[in-house]
Amino acid sequence: MAYLFQIDCVRYACSCGSLKSIAKIYFCRHCLSIRCGYCVCHEVDSYYCSNCLENPPASEVRLKKYKCSNCFDCPCCFETLSIRSGQVLVKSLHTTQEESKPVTKKIYYLSCTLCRWSSRDAGIPDQTVATGSWREQESPNTYRITALINFYKILGSIEKQQKERKKFQSKRIFLQFEKFGITSTMARKRVGQLPLLQSNTQSDQPQPSEASEEIEELSQDIFTKSIDITKITTLDQRLQHPELQVENINELRPQRKQFIVKRSQRCRFCEHTVSKPDYCPTSTKFKIQLAAFYHVPELRIVACEPLRLGYSSELLLKFCNPTQHQTQIILLSMDTPMMPTTTTLQGIKEEINRENVQMGCDSPNLLPSAVRQAIVVEEGRQVNIVINAEVILPSSSFILPPRDDAAEYDDPSDSQNSQDDPKLVVWRKGNKAIIRLDVIPYVDKDKMVKDEPIVVGLAMQYGYINTIATLEHKAPQKLDLKVKLFLTLGNLVHNIL
Amino acid sequence: MSDLMSPSSRRFNIKIGSGALVCEEAILKGDITIGSHTVVHPRASIIAEAGPIIIGEGNIIEEMSTIINRISPDDTGTPVQIIGNYNVFEVDSTCEASKVGDNNVLECKAYVSKQVELTNGCVIGASCSLRDEEVVPENTIIYGSQCHRREMNDKPYPQLGQLEYLMKMLLGYHHIYKPNMPPPKTESST
Ligand SMILES: [Zn+2]
Ligand SMILES: [Zn+2]
Ligand SMILES: [Zn+2]
Ligand SMILES: [Zn+2]
Repeated sequence: MAYLFQIDCVRYACSCGSLKSIAKIYFCRHCLSIRCGYCVCHEVDSYYCSNCLENPPASEVRLKKYKCSNCFDCPCCFETLSIRSGQVLVKSLHTTQEESKPVTKKIYYLSCTLCRWSSRDAGIPDQTVATGSWREQESPNTYRITALINFYKILGSIEKQQKERKKFQSKRIFLQFEKFGITSTMARKRVGQLPLLQSNTQSDQPQPSEASEEIEELSQDIFTKSIDITKITTLDQRLQHPELQVENINELRPQRKQFIVKRSQRCRFCEHTVSKPDYCPTSTKFKIQLAAFYHVPELRIVACEPLRLGYSSELLLKFCNPTQHQTQIILLSMDTPMMPTTTTLQGIKEEINRENVQMGCDSPNLLPSAVRQAIVVEEGRQVNIVINAEVILPSSSFILPPRDDAAEYDDPSDSQNSQDDPKLVVWRKGNKAIIRLDVIPYVDKDKMVKDEPIVVGLAMQYGYINTIATLEHKAPQKLDLKVKLFLTLGNLVHNIL
Repeated sequence: MSDLMSPSSRRFNIKIGSGALVCEEAILKGDITIGSHTVVHPRASIIAEAGPIIIGEGNIIEEMSTIINRISPDDTGTPVQIIGNYNVFEVDSTCEASKVGDNNVLECKAYVSKQVELTNGCVIGASCSLRDEEVVPENTIIYGSQCHRREMNDKPYPQLGQLEYLMKMLLGYHHIYKPNMPPPKTESST
């Protein structure tokens, strides 16, 4: 998600310890914590071509070597090539009349709109049909690679058979197949297949490659000939097609366009999906999108007075509540415990453990366990950032009303809440409020790195309504969640008044 | 339009060849010669600051593009900026080059400085700029954010279809300067 030109002034601490802008983090509604790209499982949903939007099934994709059969990339600048058509005059040979009339024929060639490379540059003959006839460049090692792949396939199947045999060895129920070295299950599988070629495996083994000491001689003028850079391929161009790595520009050939993936992301702790795109490649929508942007109050820096060592500067922060529920925001110091809390009917604060968070269904992962990615949970890392200013935290809290899309079109007058501390809340409209805080950069010069921007840290506690519980006919759970925020305020002003 | 701004009063040093289409909304300053069948769009600027500008045949000079013969401190005498035939100056491109050959294309927002000489069939890609002194070899293309270079096999084709289309369209919607140069002798025979 693009977010205000991707400026990372306000960063949220993810539960894994990385710092990201709100546009790049997710909020898992099931374990009530912030997740980011580093601490979720990435799963490929589908493959598609970004140019023609074809999305073949996964098995076909593998056969196509993860490349689109119709679209090509420019070998020179890696943009998508477009198919151009032209007309040529062809003398028809079939006319019985003496004067053969020239016939116009449609021809096609590939051309790049960015760098004007064309298939004609490479000497590829023009085609008479627009798609399908473009031949792909053969890798010189194709034969060897397929031989090796086939050999390893055989090895793999032998290993599998051995494992299967071991599994059944202890049982020894059906002995009639044992003398042939296979179990009954294997025998059932083998029905209708080619006879086992176990003895042949030795002869199938491809020739091992041999290292050679002889190296091709460099040409005599290698150091004296002046080179024309415009005719030699760049490193990028060579690595784009590693099998060939051609040296001269005119040897470049169009490359089939690689498929890109639609992926869903899954929380590693509870296995619930935090992001799942629509299957259709033309759609940019999501089936599930638990972006933090929709659940966690958003914080933006409105203004900050010039920062001076040891002097307090005014900092205006704008908070925005994206949820349908009213929320109370309390700003706390960095060292407060981050566990979510709830207030019981008796008004007692209670810590919530992962176990008693009201979760939805327990097994959200419908994929068979064999396909499923093994989930590795890593320990959260320490947030590695130097805080070099103190923020004076307010003693009072403030309330953000729920989001109301219709209110956007209402009377634009500012609505002041009478309960607000006028020293804290300076502006308020709809679900947004601007508050005023004071920031004092630390005087301690040893800690200061020269020309490092000033960073302040604070913890935000916000009210959250767990609506998953309502699906199970329970009263929605009111929770107080906390998130650590790091604000980059800019550099110190050096000329002290 | 006031008399001061009328084309006849400031056109004395602007020569326009027969068949050229120069819109009145174009910004023309100084001693300019525009060859036949050249199209100058509205809001294009041709500014002969240091010396005259001579533009050849069949060029397309698009909106917001600038061709300028800029004054520089190391000029000796009056430098003449010469632009050849069938060049295309796309939207918001700037050409200060002292000499431009034939069949060159300056794509959108391209910039070519005064020290540069464009030969024939060169393409300066969108947003690419050439600032150092050089003679760009024929059929060179400069493209991408890194200003990569390559030699093309073929020069860009003259935009004859586009020229023809523009002649029709612009004439229908804009006031144009009347050509004031006699057609060249080779053409008068046809
Ligand atoms: Zn994370
Ligand atoms: Zn495609
Ligand atoms: Zn290209
Ligand atoms: Zn979770």
